[in-house]
Amino acid sequence: MSYLPTIAFVLILASAALQAFFLFARRGAEERISSWLLCAAALLLVVVAVARSIEMAFPALTGTFESLVFYAAAVCLICFGYRLQRKLPFLPLVQFGATIAAAALLAIANSPIAPKELLAPIPALRSGWLALHVAFSFVGEAFFVASFAASLAFLATKDEARKLAYDRITYTAIAIGYPVFTAGALVFGAIWAQRAWGRWWSWDPKETWALVTWLIYSLYLHLRFIRRRKDSLPSVVAVVGFLCTLFTFFGVNYLLSGLHSYG
Amino acid sequence: MVKFLKALKSIRLAIALIAYLAVSGLLATLVPQGREDAFYFGAYPKILAEIVVQTGFSRFFSSILFMLPAFAFFANLLACTVDRFLKQLRAKGKRRHGPDMLHLGLLLLVVGSVLSFSGRQEGGVSLAVGDGVELPDGRVIKLTAFEYLKYDDGRPKDWISTVSVLKGEKAEIEGFSIRVNHPLKLGGLSIYQVSHSVERVLALRDPEGKERLVGQGEEIEAAGERLFFMAVEEASGKFVLRATDAAGKATVAKVLAGESAGRFSVVALRDIDLTGLEAVRDPGYPLVLAALVLVALGVCLTFIQKLGDMNP
Repeated sequence: MSYLPTIAFVLILASAALQAFFLFARRGAEERISSWLLCAAALLLVVVAVARSIEMAFPALTGTFESLVFYAAAVCLICFGYRLQRKLPFLPLVQFGATIAAAALLAIANSPIAPKELLAPIPALRSGWLALHVAFSFVGEAFFVASFAASLAFLATKDEARKLAYDRITYTAIAIGYPVFTAGALVFGAIWAQRAWGRWWSWDPKETWALVTWLIYSLYLHLRFIRRRKDSLPSVVAVVGFLCTLFTFFGVNYLLSGLHSYG
Repeated sequence: MVKFLKALKSIRLAIALIAYLAVSGLLATLVPQGREDAFYFGAYPKILAEIVVQTGFSRFFSSILFMLPAFAFFANLLACTVDRFLKQLRAKGKRRHGPDMLHLGLLLLVVGSVLSFSGRQEGGVSLAVGDGVELPDGRVIKLTAFEYLKYDDGRPKDWISTVSVLKGEKAEIEGFSIRVNHPLKLGGLSIYQVSHSVERVLALRDPEGKERLVGQGEEIEAAGERLFFMAVEEASGKFVLRATDAAGKATVAKVLAGESAGRFSVVALRDIDLTGLEAVRDPGYPLVLAALVLVALGVCLTFIQKLGDMNP
């Protein structure tokens, strides 16, 4: 079972290579194999998560490795889902960016900084609210990956029609990810903390960074939907928001200490 | 006044305040919070330490640097919410109340937070099996059993404190298991499992023949005599005890298990489990919970409607 994340990683890399080929060498040509490769990778990661959950008798979301596997699977599934639907074109460059992000997440999961040892959760983590908190947060953040890739593409292009399309992907991804992230990171997180410690908010570094991330995406939504800004500023804010999600996950775990030091 | 109200409900002000709260909150996580002033002078160059201490950045989330903008944000949000809601009521055609619900949820969240942080009461206690403690409302919570479950690899799986709650002579609750993530609710009070420790105690037989436990630094009394457990002598392993008889005459004795000090006889040194329970009363939490539900529903409603448009 331990080789499955590596196979998934290879599938994602193969998908990225195929996308890169069609993106840069055969502009305009359409291919669907890369999306199915992502789907296959996601399914393998789901199998890993389910197997580990069964083995530890609890949803496998309580360690860095498990979180990364879940996060990468969510990104792959979202890429695949975008390609399946017809209402909103998911431009190849955005898919490529999101695929690279999924590969990077799995590369970290397969690296020594994410211990793969199967450890059953400590008492504070044995809660259904924790499982909801982590799962919803990562699904929300997986949509933010798509918005990040689209924002970077927006900032990189000068073509107005493409800018419009990238902007549309950015705001739809954030509009879906934001409520999911709100529910996961803030609502379920607060309920879990109250159940576990009797304190729904502690100004712990991870909580504060999650709140900051939420505020930055709130800022994006106000700029984009209320001020109706369609220039570079909302995209810059979306990029900063995603960088905050990364720091919330990795930076706080490895650089700052607090209640969330386990994952 | 009109100008002030217009400025107060301005979206620019909202954006500026959100940006300030985000950036300052982020910076606050990089500076350890709530330490003594000396810590900052030891960790940072003098000028930086001076700034951190004098501006209140060392206790950022209770300082004016945070509270004032947070209050301004609350006022701005309140003005925006009322203004938007009134506009929606006057609007012809499709009404959008998702943002109103979201903003109302955020306003309630701020009120709930203030209630929570100002009115919160908490108190902790360590209990051994058989011990009891009186709660502020007169009820007594008694530990009847304690279990420390471990995984095969030795890591903690659960701490289970089984308690009874007595009101006067009557048992109100019997055999409730308090675990991490499974607190006991008693009216407005919640009792949490927060810690576990092991204490080394001396088992003694008192002059009345009962077995008693005494921790180092503690004193027990029976039949008019007192016994104080002073220390364990490292080299000999003897227990240093001070026995005081009914007349008040004290003698210090160094004894081993099976020997006596005054009319107390030493049985053995034992390790006993102590459970750490914490009682919390948080008057703001119900409001916070309602606010979080409103925020979640408001956000969902807003974006379901927004995505339905597909062309905002």
